[in-house]
Amino acid sequence: MSTQGKEIITPRAPASSTAAEPVLRGALNRLRTALTAATYPLLLPSTDEARRTSAALLRQLDDYLLPRLARPDTPLLVVVGGSTGVGKSTLVNSLVQARVSAPGILRPTTRSPVLVCHPRDLSWFRAGNLLPGLTRTSRSGDTPGTLQLVSAPALPPGLAFLDAPDIDSIIDANRALATQLLAAADLWLFVTTPARYADAVPWELLRTARLRGAALALVLDRVSDRDRDELVAHLKEMLAAADLAATPLFVVPETKVDGQGLLPEHGTAQLRDWFGRMAADPESRARVIRQTFDGALAALLPVLTGLAAAADEQAEAAKMLNERVRAAYRIAYDTVLQGLPDGDLLPDESDLVALISDAAADAAERAYAGWRTHPAGLALLEPALARLGPDLPERAERLVRDWRSGTKAQADLVDGIEALMAEEATRYLCRVATPDPATTTGSGHGLGDELRHTAAEIEQARVRAARTDSPPERPTDD
Amino acid sequence: MTDVADIREATPGDPPVEVDRMLARIEAVNQFLHAAEGHLPADRLVAARTVAERAATRLALSRDHTVVALAGATGSGKSSLFNALAYFEMSPVGVRRPTTDVTHACVWGPPEGAARLLDWIGVLPRYRFVRESALDGDDEAPLHGLVLLDLPDLDSVQDRHRWEVERLLGLVDMVVWVLDPQKYADRVVHANYLRRFRQHRASTVVALNQADLLAPAEVPRVVDDLRRLLEAGELDGVPVLATSALHQASMANLRVTLEHAVATRQAALRRLSTDLDATAEELSALMGPAIPTDDVDGEAEQKLVNALASAAGVPALVDAAESAYRQRAIATAGAPLARGLRWLRPAPLRAGPPVPSELPGGTAPAAPHRPGAAPPPGPATIQRPIVGLAVRTAADRVGASLPEGWRDAVGGASRSRIDDLPDALDRAVAAVEREPDHQPLWWRPVGLLQWLVTLGAAAGLMWLLVGYVLRSLGLAKLTYPVVGPLPVPALMLLGGVLLTLLIAAAVTPVVAAAARRVGQRTDARLRAAVAEVGRDLVIAPIHTVLRAYLRASEAVTSLRAR
Repeated sequence: MSTQGKEIITPRAPASSTAAEPVLRGALNRLRTALTAATYPLLLPSTDEARRTSAALLRQLDDYLLPRLARPDTPLLVVVGGSTGVGKSTLVNSLVQARVSAPGILRPTTRSPVLVCHPRDLSWFRAGNLLPGLTRTSRSGDTPGTLQLVSAPALPPGLAFLDAPDIDSIIDANRALATQLLAAADLWLFVTTPARYADAVPWELLRTARLRGAALALVLDRVSDRDRDELVAHLKEMLAAADLAATPLFVVPETKVDGQGLLPEHGTAQLRDWFGRMAADPESRARVIRQTFDGALAALLPVLTGLAAAADEQAEAAKMLNERVRAAYRIAYDTVLQGLPDGDLLPDESDLVALISDAAADAAERAYAGWRTHPAGLALLEPALARLGPDLPERAERLVRDWRSGTKAQADLVDGIEALMAEEATRYLCRVATPDPATTTGSGHGLGDELRHTAAEIEQARVRAARTDSPPERPTDD
Repeated sequence: MTDVADIREATPGDPPVEVDRMLARIEAVNQFLHAAEGHLPADRLVAARTVAERAATRLALSRDHTVVALAGATGSGKSSLFNALAYFEMSPVGVRRPTTDVTHACVWGPPEGAARLLDWIGVLPRYRFVRESALDGDDEAPLHGLVLLDLPDLDSVQDRHRWEVERLLGLVDMVVWVLDPQKYADRVVHANYLRRFRQHRASTVVALNQADLLAPAEVPRVVDDLRRLLEAGELDGVPVLATSALHQASMANLRVTLEHAVATRQAALRRLSTDLDATAEELSALMGPAIPTDDVDGEAEQKLVNALASAAGVPALVDAAESAYRQRAIATAGAPLARGLRWLRPAPLRAGPPVPSELPGGTAPAAPHRPGAAPPPGPATIQRPIVGLAVRTAADRVGASLPEGWRDAVGGASRSRIDDLPDALDRAVAAVEREPDHQPLWWRPVGLLQWLVTLGAAAGLMWLLVGYVLRSLGLAKLTYPVVGPLPVPALMLLGGVLLTLLIAAAVTPVVAAAARRVGQRTDARLRAAVAEVGRDLVIAPIHTVLRAYLRASEAVTSLRAR
C-alpha cells in the first residue's frame, strides 16, 4: 500500500468509498465466484463469445475493478492505445519529454508495455495492486507478462501513461494484452492517423469504450496541413455517428521528430495543456476516475445479462441433448417390451438377444441423428456412438441367460433390460458434462440466475453510490 | 535489365499447367460429385461443386486474359497504384477513408474479349476502362490481355467492402497485395487474407507501396521484415516489391511482373489448378483406402439369408413338406388301420401340407406350428429384430472398411427397402414350386400287401368271432384246422398283425429318409428364393453404394494426378 498516493490527491472520498463500498466489494467477489463456475462447456453459437467475455470480465475484476474500488485515490492511469504504426510510442515520449518507449519503422514496435509516471507515484504502481498479473521490470524487453515501469520527472504527479501494444497486432498475445490494458484504464487515449481512422478494428474498440462509459480522448496523428480540415470534419462525422460526439479530439500535425525522437513542442502543446490542467486539478482527476469506474460497473449489467442468457442456453441445450438420448432409449425399451411374448411363454434365447440388440442399435442411431442436428451435439459426437456399445450383445446374452436360469419372472427381465438401456444411454449422457449449479455456486439455482442476481446487486450498489455523489461528467473539452 | 531476371526467378518455377489436364481434372470433380450425389451429405460437396463450376466457367470465358486484382487496406494506395499503372486518373484518390467504394477495372488491349469476363466478375460497365494500344504505340503491348482490378479496401468500417473483396478474391487469377509502411504488419491483412490464401502463393505478389515515405536506407529493412512476416505465414517465395505510385521508375518491377504473367498466360491456370488441389485434398478426406472387395462377404450374407429364411417361416414350411410326404406315404403304402387313425388326428396335420398361399401375409410371417398349441404371439414380433440385426450386421461388415460418410450411406442403403421385405418374402415363398406329389412305384404294391395282410388278419378274427358266438349260443362247436400248436384263424390273426408291423417297420425308415430328402429339396428351393429377395432388397442397394464409392475413388485419383 502506498502512502504517497494519498499525498498527491486530495483526500476527498470518491463514490465507491462510501457506505456502498463493502456491499459492492461483496457483490464483486460473488461475481468472481460465479464467473469462475460458469465454463460454458457446450459448443453453441453463443459459447465462444460467452467464454471470451467471461475471461475478459474476470481479468477486469482483478486488474481494475477490485483494486480501483479499494484505492480510488491513486494516480490516474492513461492507457495510450491504437493501431500498429500510428506513432503511439513517439507520442508518449513527447508527452513525458523523455525517450521511454522505443519507436521504430518495423512493426509491431512496442513489445512489452511501458508505464511512465512521476517518480513519487512509482511505488504505488510497483506494489502491483493494479494489473496484478503483470510482473514489474525496470528494463525494456519483450518477455511476455511483464510491465516496464519508468519514471519521468517531466510528468506531473497524479498522472501515469501506459503505452499499450497495438490493438491490431499480428501477434495474438500483444492484441490480448492491449485489450486487457484498455480494460484497466482510467482514461483511454486513442491514437490514429489519416491512413487508419476508418479501419474497422479501432472503431470496434471505440464502441466498446462507449458501452463501458470509459473516459476517452482521441488523437489524430500525422496530419498534413493540407488535409487537416477535411479529415477532422469526416472524423467528427464518424464520431457523431458512433454516439461519441463529445469525445475530445486532438490533432497532431505531421512533423519531423527531433534528435531525441520527440515531436516538436508546438505539435503536442494542445494535448500537453489538457493533461497539465488535469494533473493540476485533483478534483477533475477524481471525476475522470469516478466516471470510468462507474461506467465499468454500469456496463456489467448488460454484459452479465448476456452471460446469464448464455448460461441458460447451456442448461437448455444440455437438457435437450439429454432428452433426445433418453427418448431414443425409451423407445428402444418400449420396443423390447412389446416384443416380449405374453404370459409364461419362454422366448427363444437368441431371439431375445436379437430383439434387445436391434432395439439398442436403433436407439443408438436415433440418438446419434438427434445430436447431429444440434450444434452442441455435433461437437460431442464420435462415430462409435452411432453403433451399439461394444459389449452390449454379450451383456444382453448374459442377462437373458441369468434370467432363464434364475427366477424366470418377467419383472426381473424387464428390470434387467431397463438397466441395460440406461447403461447404453450413459455413453451419450456422460458427454454432456455440465457442472451441477447446486454444487458449484452453493445457492441451489442455475448459473444464469446467479449471474443475474449478482448483476442486480452490483447495479443497486452502484446506483446508491452514485446518488450520494455528483453525477459523472466527461473531462472538460478545451 | 537485372530486375527482370530477378523477378522471373522469383516466380515459382513449377512446370506450366496444361489446359487439357485442367479440363480432365474438372471432369474428375464432376464425376466425383455425380458418384457421391445422394450418398454423402450435400453440404460436404458444395465447395467442390463451386470450384468445378467456377473453373469451367473461367476457362470457357477467356484463356487469353489475365485478371489481376490490387487488394489491400484502406489508405495503402491501391487506387494510386492502379492509376499509375494505367497512366491516368480513373479511380478516385482521396484523403477521406475509405475511398474506393466499387471495383474498377482496366483492360489492356481490345475490350471485346474481356467484356463477358468482366460481366462474370461483376464489374459494372461504367467502371470499366480500356488502354488501347493505338494511343500508346507499342509501349503497352506487353500488357495486352491484362485485366487489372482495383478492389475496395478490406479493413475499413464499411462491411460491404469486405464482402466485395471476399467475393472477388475467389474469382481473380492473381492478386497484388498492396501494403504500406504504416500498415504492412496489420493482423487483418495477414491473418484474414494473406495466410488464408497461402496455397495461392504461386499467383501472389506483395507490393510495399508508398516506399517513398521511408528513407531509402530503411526500405530494404522494412522489405525484409515484411518478408519475415510472410514466411511466418507460410508464404515464402512470394515476391515482395517496393513501389511508389509517385515515381513511375519504382513501378518497373511490378510492371515486369505483370508483363510476365500476361505473356505466359499461366496465372489463370495456376490459380484454378491450386483451387483444384485444395478440392482434391478436401475430397480425399471423404475417401478411405480402396476396398479390397466390392462384395458383401459370405458369412454376413449367410447370416442374412438365415435370418430372412426364419422370418419367412422357411423351417415351418420344410417341416410341413416333410410331414405331408410322410402322410401321403401312409395314405398309400400304410396299413389300413394307420390310414384310419389319421382321420382321428387333430386338424392341422390332417390338412396335409400347408400350401404357401395359406401363409399369413403382411408384416407377420408364418410361425412354426406346434401340434397342440396355438401359435405363440412371440416369434411373430421377434422376427423383425432378427432381420433388422442381420441387415445391420451385413451393412456394418461392409462399412467397416469405409470412411464415415460412406459407412452411413451403406447403412442407409441396406435399410432403404427394409419395409418391403415382409411382402417380398411372402411373395417369393408363395412363388416357390411345391414338391410334385410323386409316388414311388412300390407304395401301391406295399399298400396292396398291407390290405391283403389286414384282410387275412380280419378273416382270422371273423372266423374266431363266429366260432366264439356259435359256441356261446350253444348252437354248434366249430373245429378249427390246426397247424402246429395253433388253430388256423388265430394264426391268421396273429400272423396278419405281425406282418403288418414288420412291413411298417421295414417301410418307415425308407419313407423317413425320403421325407428328409423332400425337406432338404424344399429348404433349398425356399432358401434360394429368400436369398434372391435378400440380394434384391438388401445387398443390391449396398452394391450401388459400393460401386459409387469405387467411381468416386477413381475420380479422386485422377483429380490428384496433376
